[in-house]
Amino acid sequence: MISVFHKDYEVIRDDFANAGTASSDIKHTLSSMGFQSGVLRRIAIASYEAEINLLIHAWGGHIDLDVFDNGMVQLIFKDPGPGIPNLEKAMTPGWSTANQKAREMGFGAGMGLPNMKNVADKFDIQSSPAGTTIKMAFAEDSK
Amino acid sequence: MSKSVIAYTLEHCVRCMKCLHACPTGAISMQDNRIHVDKSDCINCGRCVRACHSKGMVSQGSTLEDIQNYEYTVCIVPTAILSRCNSKDDLQELFYAIKMLGFDEVVEHTDIDAQLMKEALLISESAKKFNFIESFCPVVNELISQKYSILGENVLQLQYPSEICAKQIRKRLPGKKVGIFNLCECEANLALAKYPYGNEQYEVDHALSLTDMFPLIRPILHQGKMDVALCIEGLQTCSVQSRPQCPEVLIADGFEKISEILDESEFGILNRYHLLTLYSCYNGCIGGHLLWGSSYLVNEFVDKLKDIPRKPIADLPFEEIFSNEYLQNEDTRTFSEKMEAFQKVNAILEELPGYDCGACGKQTCRSMAEEIVKGERSLKSCRILNKGGEQ
Repeated sequence: MISVFHKDYEVIRDDFANAGTASSDIKHTLSSMGFQSGVLRRIAIASYEAEINLLIHAWGGHIDLDVFDNGMVQLIFKDPGPGIPNLEKAMTPGWSTANQKAREMGFGAGMGLPNMKNVADKFDIQSSPAGTTIKMAFAEDSK
Repeated sequence: MSKSVIAYTLEHCVRCMKCLHACPTGAISMQDNRIHVDKSDCINCGRCVRACHSKGMVSQGSTLEDIQNYEYTVCIVPTAILSRCNSKDDLQELFYAIKMLGFDEVVEHTDIDAQLMKEALLISESAKKFNFIESFCPVVNELISQKYSILGENVLQLQYPSEICAKQIRKRLPGKKVGIFNLCECEANLALAKYPYGNEQYEVDHALSLTDMFPLIRPILHQGKMDVALCIEGLQTCSVQSRPQCPEVLIADGFEKISEILDESEFGILNRYHLLTLYSCYNGCIGGHLLWGSSYLVNEFVDKLKDIPRKPIADLPFEEIFSNEYLQNEDTRTFSEKMEAFQKVNAILEELPGYDCGACGKQTCRSMAEEIVKGERSLKSCRILNKGGEQ
């Protein structure tokens, strides 16, 4: 599998004013490549949730978008910490550690990680106090 | 897909390119000093018409001369026009005057509007995973199909009220050569007619622009009255203020606002709403640009028409109000073909300045790059690369 397209994005901690700009660009880029609405919808939902997580839970982070020669889309969200203390709980729908500020802005419903797992074709999460890495893959019309 | 209603008239054009920058779908371009409107991309939002200071962009409807081609003619009156009536007398006089233009019959469709709103609310109650989008506004539906393909399956496949109304008229007048004319409050509704736009699948024969008709209606107002009955629930659907509010329904108006809502909706973050009801014009259809007067002055029109005889909400069968037509344009290219085209455009895009100045006649550097890939233009068209030369 060879990557035929790569783009990356920097997400800054608590930068609420720009929440969703990376996901927007990912959505538009893939759309102009000709990806169809089904897979685009799943990618849009997952990338937005993951981007918001970098902004409200992590100390910012980095997004890598790759499109492979077989049409597979891969998204990697990497942050430098503080890590998710209880991964099992974090994967439970409705469970949230979002602070008051984030909740007031309509974030932190506790559906982020479960949603991502739900819409992605492959979902992998590694977390330690040194940081969290989420790797998701999407294929056209597989779900 | 509807054909474009927006036309360009060369003699008035000063080539300021305001229309080109106003277009939300990049349907307008300039080549050889002429403005082109791409009929397949144009969604008839009318933003270019409003942006044009030299009145070069116009929307054109049918004329009353077409009445002569039919044995029996019916004029459909849009619900939005009723907002301009201050009383029962006003309304009855307006309908009489419209009939006097030469129609055999004048009908309105508030009962159908009401049924459509009712059905949309009922279906949306079942929404769990995502919100449905309901719109009487052709601009919204076309915009979604062009720019928000993700939301294609969210759109309720309801037919337009004027179409349903036209079908009902034909049903009760079999064997006659019936001509159905729709009086239109906006450019987008003009597009929903067979002539002069060539949309063979539509039931409405001719679209008349209210801007063209009002000068003919005005002198003959106050000459007589016609009995009219309205469905109040349907009357409420044409204005954002008068629509019944409900916490699960997001009602929004204005092109910028609906674009933002559609953007957010693609991320799935507006899912707490079961239904999005969107209007491209401010205040809803009562803000239609072909209507006279200000839509900000008619907030209480529903109250003012309270003593009009009522008619019940329509109860048409499912198949007569839903359409099977899908908005989505399928892309049949293989992945490698798509990728190759994308990479070619990107390679050219790197050579272009990226200012999206529009001086080449295309709205963005990306759309210019796409033209260059197709072989229709060359890098010479870029005025910045060529220091002001060529176009």
